[in-house]
Amino acid sequence: MRQEDWSKLARIMSKRSLWMVHFCTGCGAMEMPPVLTSRYDMERFGMISMATPRQADVLLVTGYLAVKTLKRLVQVYEQMRDPKYVVGFGSCTINGGMYWDSYNTIKDLSKYMPVDIYIAGCMPRPEAIIDAFLKLMDMIDKGEATGWKKYHKYYKQYKRNQKMAFSYRLDEVKDIEEGDGK
Amino acid sequence: MKAMELFSEAKEIKKGRIRIETTKDKVEEMIKKLKNNGYEHFVMLSCIDWIKDGKFELVYHMWSYKYKEHVMISIKINRDGETVPTMSHLFPQIETYEREIHEMFGVEFEGNKRLVSFVLEGWPHMPPMRKDFDTEKFVKEHYYKIPEVKEE
Repeated sequence: MRQEDWSKLARIMSKRSLWMVHFCTGCGAMEMPPVLTSRYDMERFGMISMATPRQADVLLVTGYLAVKTLKRLVQVYEQMRDPKYVVGFGSCTINGGMYWDSYNTIKDLSKYMPVDIYIAGCMPRPEAIIDAFLKLMDMIDKGEATGWKKYHKYYKQYKRNQKMAFSYRLDEVKDIEEGDGK
Repeated sequence: MKAMELFSEAKEIKKGRIRIETTKDKVEEMIKKLKNNGYEHFVMLSCIDWIKDGKFELVYHMWSYKYKEHVMISIKINRDGETVPTMSHLFPQIETYEREIHEMFGVEFEGNKRLVSFVLEGWPHMPPMRKDFDTEKFVKEHYYKIPEVKEE
């Protein structure tokens, strides 16, 4: 078998055994217990929540992120093994949502890490969450969920944006851009 | 109505809620007195920015399970750099409240050794809860100017 066939087979196998990091930020974490437990039962799609990032495939960002949380989120994301997928959950990860003018929350998650799929809403209902996960599985099957490859390819740009957010100063950016991006 | 008996300057603003206005050098003995008379729960320390008067108001909230009363001790300090003695030796949780107020309003607490950054790590600007901090301008100049990742 060729390399492409093997990776296709791996994708088919892995799409029904997605493990998710239970990284709870913001209020979206409240919407997860009904999805995880018997009412909506995410496990029938092969998804369970996992305590350690090293064993997980999906990073679910549930809601707004303070800059201090973003630092931890980037650490968790970088600890995860490839292939890995990011799901932006709720309107806060898309454009800030109701925190659009907050001094301490980031507005657009895709500037700091590649997002494979967004779930709009404040809050999204469990049906919407399950729908998004099924779409993500579909994308994995077709090989369209390539956010982790993007993170490798544009690593410098992502690191620059993260540093810009962490330092709270844009006038320091020039030094960051001229540096090695680490 | 225990606090009304303890302090002559106490005012009842509604049932079970008592307000005392005082100065910063009398706070310590007041908290001590309340602590020894059944007000064993220090609820919180809050800060208000009265920008037109040029003052910060610090409010020490205390609660008594015995008398079911909420006492608020209020002091006013100047906005420009007046220091306040720490109360963290009376109740240890005050240390964290003072740390938060130091970060959000820039009030200096004398004697508190843990005034390091709390939620805002490495914040270089004016404390954000001050009323002269323009949040919307800061957000537009900071978060919205971070460029999107360009794909080649």
